[in-house]
Amino acid sequence: MTEVLIVGAGLTGLFASLLVAERGNAVTLVAQGRGGLELSHGCIDIWGRATPSRALSRLRKSHPYRLAGTAALHAALEFFEEITQQAEYPFPGSISRNLHLPTALGAIHPTALAPQSLAQGDLFDGTPFTLAGIDNLRDFYPQLAASNLRRAGIAVQSVLDLPIPLDDTRHDFYTSDLAHLFDKSNWREEVARVWKPQLIGIKRLGLPAVLGLRDPQHVLEDLQERLGLTLFEIPTLPPSLPGLRLEVILRRRALNTGVHFIEGPRVVGRIDGRSDGRRVSGVVLQTVGGPRVHTADVVILATGGILNGGLVFQQDGRVQESVFDLPVNYDQGRGYWTTTSPLDSQPYSGYGLLVNDLMQPLDAKGAPIFENLYVAGGLLGGADRTMEGSRQGIDLATAYRAVEVALG
Amino acid sequence: MNLPLFTTDLCLKCNICTAACPVAAVTDLFPGPKFVGPQAERYRHPRLSMPDVSVDWCSGCGICSRVCPHGVAVAEINILAKGRLTKERHTPLRDQLIAHPELLGRIASPIAPVANTSIHLRPARWLLEKTIGISRHAPIPTFTRIPLRKRFRDRCFDTPLDIKHDIDHTVAFFHGCSSNYYEPELGEQTIAILERLGYEVVIPPQICCGLPLQSNGLFDAARRHAQANITWLAPFAKQGIPIVGTSTSCTLMLKHDYRTILGIRGEDVETIATSTYDFFEFLTIFVKNEINRIKFNSLHARALYHPPCKLRNHGIGAPALSILRQIPELQLHLSESECCGAGGTYGMKLEKFPVAYEVGQGLFNQISQLELDFVICDSETCRWWIAKHTGLPVYHPLEIMARAMDIQP
Repeated sequence: MTEVLIVGAGLTGLFASLLVAERGNAVTLVAQGRGGLELSHGCIDIWGRATPSRALSRLRKSHPYRLAGTAALHAALEFFEEITQQAEYPFPGSISRNLHLPTALGAIHPTALAPQSLAQGDLFDGTPFTLAGIDNLRDFYPQLAASNLRRAGIAVQSVLDLPIPLDDTRHDFYTSDLAHLFDKSNWREEVARVWKPQLIGIKRLGLPAVLGLRDPQHVLEDLQERLGLTLFEIPTLPPSLPGLRLEVILRRRALNTGVHFIEGPRVVGRIDGRSDGRRVSGVVLQTVGGPRVHTADVVILATGGILNGGLVFQQDGRVQESVFDLPVNYDQGRGYWTTTSPLDSQPYSGYGLLVNDLMQPLDAKGAPIFENLYVAGGLLGGADRTMEGSRQGIDLATAYRAVEVALG
Repeated sequence: MNLPLFTTDLCLKCNICTAACPVAAVTDLFPGPKFVGPQAERYRHPRLSMPDVSVDWCSGCGICSRVCPHGVAVAEINILAKGRLTKERHTPLRDQLIAHPELLGRIASPIAPVANTSIHLRPARWLLEKTIGISRHAPIPTFTRIPLRKRFRDRCFDTPLDIKHDIDHTVAFFHGCSSNYYEPELGEQTIAILERLGYEVVIPPQICCGLPLQSNGLFDAARRHAQANITWLAPFAKQGIPIVGTSTSCTLMLKHDYRTILGIRGEDVETIATSTYDFFEFLTIFVKNEINRIKFNSLHARALYHPPCKLRNHGIGAPALSILRQIPELQLHLSESECCGAGGTYGMKLEKFPVAYEVGQGLFNQISQLELDFVICDSETCRWWIAKHTGLPVYHPLEIMARAMDIQP
């Protein structure tokens, strides 16, 4: 049995931990706080700009997709589908054709796989739709979303503000507050009673993503039946329910397959092992009481990129890897990090670690630094995830590849 | 200024803490940790009274700090704000009372049979609820007739200088109020396990860690307790003797709260913090190989393990798990809930009880669906709370370990 330590509990870390545990190995997942998954739209973007399956074969050799390999991506997606099916939170969609979903600002988000409640909002589905906001929720404005969609040539049938059946509320609602309410069947009954008269003539209704956290698929089906129409959700500002639901599903499965979670401490250093320091034999965790050594046969870094704390951009122009200070591929000098137009591809978004096709980080000469240290997810350089629309696909594929190699 | 307040500006308002908060999930009386913490902190003037009192609904579980990816000490900010709130308002007799488990233990243990019978009588509970606001549905522990310290007088040492044996294989046991006055059998088994594994156990002088005082906003008193413990424990820690505790909240006080929340500085408190270990943390670090060699007896049972919030806040995961998993035939399920709701003394309060109970509902449901023989949890107040609301026995993981090692209570 191999003892694996994974640093980072976002999509990459959680997914990798499941892969390790379900092959019967001991895995510890350590993370300082909860990951970016909770802030995400909760879909799986693979390649936004064209048909994903075709675009991937034409990428540069240093692109994470090419390093992980197409087989890893397909195997990862298969496992992802198994996980979400078993959790009764299915993700319709496919790698050969993107869905086009509305964002809260009324932009168009191409994505390969989306939970059913989001996938039902496909803008090219042909069914007319209405967008509705919910009183007391400040994080979604249907008028704004509708006007931007209309500017892009998408027909929006109408825009509504729906009331919530409460006499008195003590404070503004977060999406999570509403989701907890929608988990209750008596609440859904009451909501349906109040909303139904306002929804006459509407076949498809888009709402901010608030339809339940514990059993969202059931909440969706139940509410659709009560209202007699198709519902779809649009992810909001955090708490982003679709991201949160996916995290809950992965976390619960990880817990039940024996993943040991260590939540809170920062990984502050590594312990080098035998063979002239070519192996990592453990890490140092900064716990509330003091530093604690945690040994492992294999370490997988899944700490994410600039948005997640895996990369730290310093005032003096250095870009550092936050846990082990591994070499990062970047442009020296802050002036090179961005371009003059904020909407263009930004150089900084491609910064990160360089790895070989075994997902081992490389030194300046292109040689692996440690035999048993692997990197996956947002920490990898060589991809502009925002412009490509490739973030979650890279996370899953590289996690799969790293685990596959690490466990041999 | 206290350090946690400096972390206020690290908050990006990402709401990860809001989504994780078990209290905000069940009541709109509490607007969430971000709202009452880093956000409201900006409106709290050092010399003006607190503009908003909703922070009082925080149960102090600490999940907000643990899930924050940006290093904001959310829970600490909230506990400090609760302390200020208490200073500005009058502290109810009830809060004074439940904040002193040690004092209660000292008074009640000599008359334990009488005290236990009378305090658990229904009219007595009714009266306590009506007069001072202790919920009659909340569990109240049973006092012991003979406290642990009296049972182990020969192991009580005032200073490490009096210890005659091998100091390298000695641990100092921080038993806390619970193992001394309420569950001395737990303390006995702790000592037995450590001795079986080749350690001498000494019991240094100590008083209540001060957590119940701190949680009820009585910071000055909590600080006095902390100072006393620091004075007594520092000589042991400085001799290199690990301080081991089985109550996860007491050990967290020694490791974290004394410095970060009570603001105590100095070499002594630092040494104590780095020398303190949770019981299972100690075993998995110091006697890992010996543990792996133990042949545990089979325990044919279905159980659920719920790691309490205060243990999770140590940032060490759940070290008991690796040992429980070594016990043959013990079918172990894991809690899918973050918090049982008890919140130390929170759930005892009449006005807080419904909220606390609803927080625990997820765990209670999971427990009832699994048809278990018993539940396992490290924290005493959580154990009493879960036992009361599920009707199942709830053990400390060390009791299960002791049973699988043939150590009788």
